[in-house]
Amino acid sequence: AREMHPAFGKDREISGKVTDEKGTGLAGATISIKGTTRGTNTDADGNYRITVPNDAATLVFSYIGYVKQEVAVGSRTVINIQMALGEGALQEVVVTALGIEKDTRTLGYSVTSIDASALNQARESNVINSLQGRVAGLNISPGSGGPGSSSRINLRGVSNFKGGSPLFVINGVPMDNTTRGTAGEWGGSDNGDGISNINPDDIESMTVLKGATASALYGTRATNGVILVTTKSGKNAGLSVEYNGNLQFDKVINFTDFQYVYGQGQQGVRPADATSARNSGVYSWGEKMDGAMYTQFDGKQYAYSPVKDNIQQFYQTAPTFTNTVSASGGNEKTSFRLSMSSMDASGVMRNNTVKRKTINLNVTQKVTSKLDVTLMANYIDQQDKNRPMMSDAPLNANYGITLLASSFNQLALKPGYDPITGAEMTFSDDSYKTNPWFVVNQYKNQQDRKRLISAITGKYQFTDWLYLQGRAGYDVINDGAFSITPWGTAYQALGSMNRARSQTTELNVDGLLGLNRDIAQDLNLNVAIGGNLRKNRLESVGISGSNFSIPYLYTISNTLSRSQSYGYNERQVQSGYYTAEFDYKHILSLATTGRYDVYSTLPSANRGIFAPSVSASFVFSELLKPNAMNFGKIRASYAQTSGEAFDAYLTTQYYSLGNTYNGLPQGGFSSQMPNSNLKPYRMKEFEAGFETKFFNNRLGLDVAYFNRKTEGEIVSGPLSITTGFTSRVLNLGSTKNAGVEVLLTGTPVKTRNFTWDASFNVTYVKNTIVDIDGAGNTKILTLGTYRPLNGNVAHVKGMSAAQIMAYDFKYDAAGKMIIGSDGIPVRGDLKPMGSAIPNLYGGLNNSFSYKNFSFSFLIDYKFGAKVLSATNHYSYVDGLNKATLVGRETGVVANGVVLSADGTSSTANTKNVIAQDYYRGLITNVSKLSVFNADFIKLRQVVIGYRLPSRWFSNSKVPFESVTLSAVGRNLLVLMKHTDNFDPEAGFSSNINYAGTEGAQLPSTRTFGFTLNAKFKK
Amino acid sequence: CTDKFDEINTDPNQATEQQWDPNFFLPNAQNNYVNLGYDQMLYQGPMLQVLASTFTYYGNGDKYVNTQNSTSYQGAIFNRTYSTGTTLAEMIRLSKDKPQYANLYQIGRILQAMNVLRGTDTYGDIPYTQAFQAKAGTTAPKYDTQQSIYTALLKEIDEATAALDVNQAAPTGDMIYSRLSSSTAKMTAWKKFGYSLMLRTAMRLIKVDAATAKTYAEKAIAGGVFTSNDDNAYIQADANYAASGIYNVYQVTDDYRELRFAKTFIDALKSTSDPRLSAVAEVPQTGAANNANKTLSGDNTAASQLGLPNGYDLASGATDIRKSAGYPGPSPAANDKDSDAPLGKYSRPRISVYLKKNGTMMVLSYAEVEFLLAEAKVRGWNVSGTAADHYKNGIVAAMTSLIQLDASAEIKAEAAQTWAAAHPLDVTSTDASLKAINTQFWLATGTMFNFIEAWSNWRRTGYPVLTPINYPGNVTGSTIPRRMIYLSTEISTNPTSYTEAVNRLSGGDLLTSRVWWDK
Repeated sequence: AREMHPAFGKDREISGKVTDEKGTGLAGATISIKGTTRGTNTDADGNYRITVPNDAATLVFSYIGYVKQEVAVGSRTVINIQMALGEGALQEVVVTALGIEKDTRTLGYSVTSIDASALNQARESNVINSLQGRVAGLNISPGSGGPGSSSRINLRGVSNFKGGSPLFVINGVPMDNTTRGTAGEWGGSDNGDGISNINPDDIESMTVLKGATASALYGTRATNGVILVTTKSGKNAGLSVEYNGNLQFDKVINFTDFQYVYGQGQQGVRPADATSARNSGVYSWGEKMDGAMYTQFDGKQYAYSPVKDNIQQFYQTAPTFTNTVSASGGNEKTSFRLSMSSMDASGVMRNNTVKRKTINLNVTQKVTSKLDVTLMANYIDQQDKNRPMMSDAPLNANYGITLLASSFNQLALKPGYDPITGAEMTFSDDSYKTNPWFVVNQYKNQQDRKRLISAITGKYQFTDWLYLQGRAGYDVINDGAFSITPWGTAYQALGSMNRARSQTTELNVDGLLGLNRDIAQDLNLNVAIGGNLRKNRLESVGISGSNFSIPYLYTISNTLSRSQSYGYNERQVQSGYYTAEFDYKHILSLATTGRYDVYSTLPSANRGIFAPSVSASFVFSELLKPNAMNFGKIRASYAQTSGEAFDAYLTTQYYSLGNTYNGLPQGGFSSQMPNSNLKPYRMKEFEAGFETKFFNNRLGLDVAYFNRKTEGEIVSGPLSITTGFTSRVLNLGSTKNAGVEVLLTGTPVKTRNFTWDASFNVTYVKNTIVDIDGAGNTKILTLGTYRPLNGNVAHVKGMSAAQIMAYDFKYDAAGKMIIGSDGIPVRGDLKPMGSAIPNLYGGLNNSFSYKNFSFSFLIDYKFGAKVLSATNHYSYVDGLNKATLVGRETGVVANGVVLSADGTSSTANTKNVIAQDYYRGLITNVSKLSVFNADFIKLRQVVIGYRLPSRWFSNSKVPFESVTLSAVGRNLLVLMKHTDNFDPEAGFSSNINYAGTEGAQLPSTRTFGFTLNAKFKK
Repeated sequence: CTDKFDEINTDPNQATEQQWDPNFFLPNAQNNYVNLGYDQMLYQGPMLQVLASTFTYYGNGDKYVNTQNSTSYQGAIFNRTYSTGTTLAEMIRLSKDKPQYANLYQIGRILQAMNVLRGTDTYGDIPYTQAFQAKAGTTAPKYDTQQSIYTALLKEIDEATAALDVNQAAPTGDMIYSRLSSSTAKMTAWKKFGYSLMLRTAMRLIKVDAATAKTYAEKAIAGGVFTSNDDNAYIQADANYAASGIYNVYQVTDDYRELRFAKTFIDALKSTSDPRLSAVAEVPQTGAANNANKTLSGDNTAASQLGLPNGYDLASGATDIRKSAGYPGPSPAANDKDSDAPLGKYSRPRISVYLKKNGTMMVLSYAEVEFLLAEAKVRGWNVSGTAADHYKNGIVAAMTSLIQLDASAEIKAEAAQTWAAAHPLDVTSTDASLKAINTQFWLATGTMFNFIEAWSNWRRTGYPVLTPINYPGNVTGSTIPRRMIYLSTEISTNPTSYTEAVNRLSGGDLLTSRVWWDK
């Protein structure tokens, strides 16, 4: 035994035995020191030894299925504990809507909490992506736009026409999660969303409120569900300092599998000189590659040989370095946590970086014995440099580099511009296909964001059962943007620039009066009434100019033509609500909520709406006491939430003036027809489920069924331009989602040194667009499209949301393919090919711990979605696709029939078309060939952790209390996919309008890295 | 506490109907109508063999092949017809029955007629009577037959022109005649504009309804059409925004490098020593760098001019221009750092005339009117003067109006008179006269970059006689397109009406189908 110095607060050893309710030793029980990550497990006989820092330490004894116990050490050296079986083990408290804490075992609806450790070992620059595959019901589609890009998040299907991200609530305060723009068919960059600003190190947990009942109290924005983010706070346990360091490297994955038989060229010949090489830079319609030298567009000689690694060579291995230091502590009256973090992320695109600095402060002060005040301030300073352009080709390096001709070495494109004139070196027959190296060296697209999310909460506890809580939350975002079309750009030689600043604010003020007491023997009442005021405001100014006089001087004063813009948008919601829950012996629970909202975005006659909910749960295991079952609950709920207009100012026709033209103001008006009769819409949801635990809680099953429907949804429906508008605001959309979520958790193995935990979740959602315009006139609501424009995404009445629409072949009555007089298959109907949103998805997570080692891996999967691929389209047009090898030298005679002039008879097609014309015509006419099944199974994440032995830190000269090292990998393997030449998850936008469209986004990346966590001694 | 919600939900950045002056719509509509850029440069310009290009995008009109964006370009005029039309319809609605906007209202009707005319000429049947009525609940407008549209438009032009009041104030938002000094002068010009437009509209019908054509042509003449270049209707683009669509086309490196005047066009000017050749065309200075220089003028001497034949590319294959019979060789590198310019010896539109931020965009010209009058006379209708005189006036007007594009394109009246006198109208036969008149119409609208009007006139008369290109993979069976394909979004947003219209088209919604008046 080591020397003991209890008086000096030095380390000393405690030993003891943990026994079960019968007095038998419990193997594998966990003993941890409260407020630290230090801990140990009992041996096969239930014995343990642990070193504690001082007398003030508290030991926490836990074992699945048993009541957790906390024991203050004091001066004792031997602590024996008998654990009590039972419900207590599950008596987990979860934070629900409005910050009201509830016992999970009596909840009448489905809620999932995710611990922070899932978020901050293997990092994602957008923290929400770490939840992918982990939560039943949650479908996350990360954008392919580089570090910090936005994600499409759907809870329980596409809950409305706009797709709908859940509402994020940070420590009780709703935060803005607006996407700062994504790419569309005409290009653009993904400038990130609100949640991507949050530093994962500051997050203690994330709780997903899935059903409408769970989220009903948040009102309009909660129709898409709510994700509660709880940040770490100080504990009453002295000062502790912690460091987290993470270094990760992103490396591109080349999914292309093109043909490398025929080289650069057109019409079956290789380029004869620099001019024709420039015209064929993206065309692989040349001759069989023979390794002979040929003249490239730069006039230099290159081998006419396959170049397969342009993608790997062009993109860089991109490091991301994150450092976080936090200090937390407290005493009886005050506790605090302060953290500072810096993320320095590089994109695989060479000029792209995202630097984010965050400061997070959380202070709780006990002002009097009855009044607690909590202050939260989260400051974010983010600088984004050169967010890459995607989708369309202008200034998009991804486009050119992916589609370079099969014999074209990307090095020839360097440096992208003529050093003397500054003019872009174009490499194709299209000025709008920007030289990728010109983009790297000349393009600028910068954003900066300064954001403060702050909240102050005061809670006055009149008695132990009555409290009054007031809260004010303020989220203020200042955004700046600067982008240029560089001097010398081929399609705009004199260049242009744009500068914009905007301020987005959201203010929430709410109050809650709550009562929580037993009103009779075994009957508890938990009730609260409250109100909320929400104000959103957005103000923006922008100035743009074109035609620089002085090369490379990117200032507005240097432009010849200028224009400016100003935007303003304000909305307000006032709400009142109640929640009431009756609980009988923690066995039977009945709850109801109601919320009345008044929306400023709607006309005065239709502004207010009441939305109620009821839920019930019954813990049947308490009555039946089945043998192997530790816990069993059934639950059911019905809820409504209401929704407002998707934007302000939709109820009146306005007229506005644009720039003057020859001194005259140019008047116009929006192409969206207003609607003066808008009213709030409703979503109704029924949810039922059960939750059980077996075998000392080592096996758990949670199943939920839900059926939700919106009615009178406010949508923007398309109109023919011939009507005088191109869209109109309608109050008639209806979307339905019905589905099942299953979460299976288990601990297959648990011994003293080794634990294996596994969880598997699966979600099935049947989504239907029930109605678009109420009258059935609009059967197809066209959304976005991909750059080739011969297909699109649309909501189709009676089908799942976000259908991929593509042109089929055309067939005659006998089912034979009709070929045009040009020898190319004729375009048939534009048909829905399936939804872009998966209907079956989930993940399998396994974690193993052995002594100080831990190992976990996550496999996730999505099924049932389709993707419309521009990469595939271009690979046909450009002669890169392996399918274009057929008939290369002989021409193609399509197998089908040619109709006679009057259409009544047909003859077999005999027309021979040269391959280049055939495949271009084919893929342009029949976009169905670019629709793929997007099913995948991926090895998403592997983490190997090692906690340094605690004895290393027992020496007082070592400043650390504990050190943990992890090696992490993300997106390691694709276990299954059906897409050629691209990642089934690829997409250039997180917007629902572009769901399932792909093309010229950044390549997917594989990530490797290391995380170091060190806790300093107190 | 929700008292302020109405105020909060009122956009502080925009105006309501009560605050609005419908004159504000006019500059927007006029510019949108006339500032076409690519909307006529990719199809009509090269199709009519005024322009030619080896560049892929121009393959649409140069070679009748589909490129990546053909669908958009085919639907562009449809889009423009209805976006311009939407603005005009609202202007008409807000100025109707308001005395202070009486002339604005009538001008709105005339411009709308002109706008719809271009739309129907491009596509055939299009929505007209039910168009622009979403607010009244019509969300699936029927496509009217072109015949009924023409009947309605002629009546509309007639009524609106007659109702123009030269004694009332001219609209404040007008850009077309803003150069004229007095309100009376402006309104007088508008009146002539209305009748000139009526003449243009009437003459379209010669193949299908010569009687109506004659009736309205004579009515227009009686009402008073343009009488000089001073009446020309055009807009100059706003230099502050480099608003000219043509200017912006030329900002694209490849367009500037590879878009040239067509051999057919240059040959037509050159064969008659037409003074317009030096006014509109130039050969760039030697070498690739000079060819790419957008501020360096070229050599405009007539003898140096050479048109680029349509139907060629730079792809090293059989259709590579460098393998064509008449290829003059590349323009040699200017120095050892420079390289050859393969197209450098072909004539391009003069940059001083066409590459202007404030370029002139012609809406309707006196020269066109004179050629239409010449034709009407040839057809024996009631027109004062001789066909030969009108023909001559048209030529002189076409030549002397080039100064309205740029001072450097000036052709002196004497030179124009002299040339016209030396090249009188061929009166040996009606056909010979029509051929001469409409070939001159093509040269006039071609030099003005008014390609859509040149195209409609070619379809109407068959002149000039153009030899179609036969390029591999073309989608028209090697014929020059005779209409454009409807805007693709109509298939999904207005399917029933669209399908009805397509079913009335013999051959379907194709480039090769013909509109009603183009039998």
